Amino acid sequence: MIMANSISQTANSRGHKKYGYFLGCVMPAKMPWAEKATLMISKHLGLDFEEMKETLCCVRPGVWKAINTDWWLTLTSQNLANAEKQGIILVDSCNGCWISHYETLKELTEEPAKLEMVNRNLSSIGMHFSGDLKVKHFLEVLYEDVGLKKIRSNVVRPLDGFRIMRHIGCHARKHGDKLPGYFDEILRATGVEIIDTPYDKTCCGLLLYFSDPHTSIFDRIGVKMSTAKELDIDAYAIICSGCYDQFERAVKVFKDERGISFDTPIVHFSELLAIAFGYKPDDFGMKYCRPIPTTKFIEKLASKEGKK
Amino acid sequence: MSEPKPIKSWVKLLEAGKKATKHQQSEESLQFPLRRSFRPAAPDIAKASLKRDFEVGLVYYVGDDIEQDRALCGLERRPPTAHTFKDALEKKRILLEKAGITTKLGFDKKKGVFEY
Repeated sequence: MIMANSISQTANSRGHKKYGYFLGCVMPAKMPWAEKATLMISKHLGLDFEEMKETLCCVRPGVWKAINTDWWLTLTSQNLANAEKQGIILVDSCNGCWISHYETLKELTEEPAKLEMVNRNLSSIGMHFSGDLKVKHFLEVLYEDVGLKKIRSNVVRPLDGFRIMRHIGCHARKHGDKLPGYFDEILRATGVEIIDTPYDKTCCGLLLYFSDPHTSIFDRIGVKMSTAKELDIDAYAIICSGCYDQFERAVKVFKDERGISFDTPIVHFSELLAIAFGYKPDDFGMKYCRPIPTTKFIEKLASKEGKK
Repeated sequence: MSEPKPIKSWVKLLEAGKKATKHQQSEESLQFPLRRSFRPAAPDIAKASLKRDFEVGLVYYVGDDIEQDRALCGLERRPPTAHTFKDALEKKRILLEKAGITTKLGFDKKKGVFEY
């Protein structure tokens, strides 16, 4: 423990920030293109940024916090203790993972009895958490640590002419309006045109899925994707892996149950940045492993390049 | 005068109540049945993902197909999560056991099923 603290303090005293990207459950299994694009743009911007190692499920607050708060704090703390030991700033781009880490850290640092309870449980696996850890959302890293100016200066292929809808997700709004603001400003820095709709703030329905799958699919994602289709949007930009999971599920259900195929690709925020920074879609595997092909988006990009 | 017929829906409700509280109860709840606590059951719809979580430490498996997709995207075939670091998963299993979570949730780890 003393060693973990000293590593962390040394890193801070030198002013050097070492980031550990928490992948969570969905990203490595369903969004490898987002994982690759996030690593690429972070390195491109000069960050010491790597995937955090030895990670487990975050654990999902929507499930665990609802079942038993102490269990949620205990299981989440295994990841936090690991991050503390690795001397990193824990970075999440999935809002579910972020809220789990952020709120657990807050509770444990503000309530010593809870920290004691967690450490009693962690001692059974030879671990300890002291609370000497920073948890950041990826949007905070980009906006606060890198800065919009530097992001803009790295845009060599502005995505002007691309019309997108965006969905940031509810948990990113839970602790203020900062993250949605960062999301929009960084997206606009890539040159895309954000189309506002009445459904931008509605939930993806992931948690509602546990109690009412029908409404969560058809009245949440269904409305969003139908609007995107109607407005002939080029891409639906998301950042949260949990929301992506729900988008993907809904797209499949629509196809299987109603024979409706949506054709607006759901893209990760990092993919748009990677393209704007000059990377090719093939550099991060944009065309693989997706329920809605990105073919039209890539063709539009190629056609735009050809006109230059 | 004959016994009144029991109302079927009420009987069903009573049976459901007994089933939902058929687990270890406090002394107080034995004296006062209406104070029986409900067991901390996992929601049915979340059980499949919880089972995967207990088995691999994460909600989704990374199988051959996914490994191939990851390689196509320029990533390591296996992510640096508990999929690779089995020690992290082992620790989680011990934690689940020692904190009494699997038992209270009624998860039979040998059979890989929830008892209720």
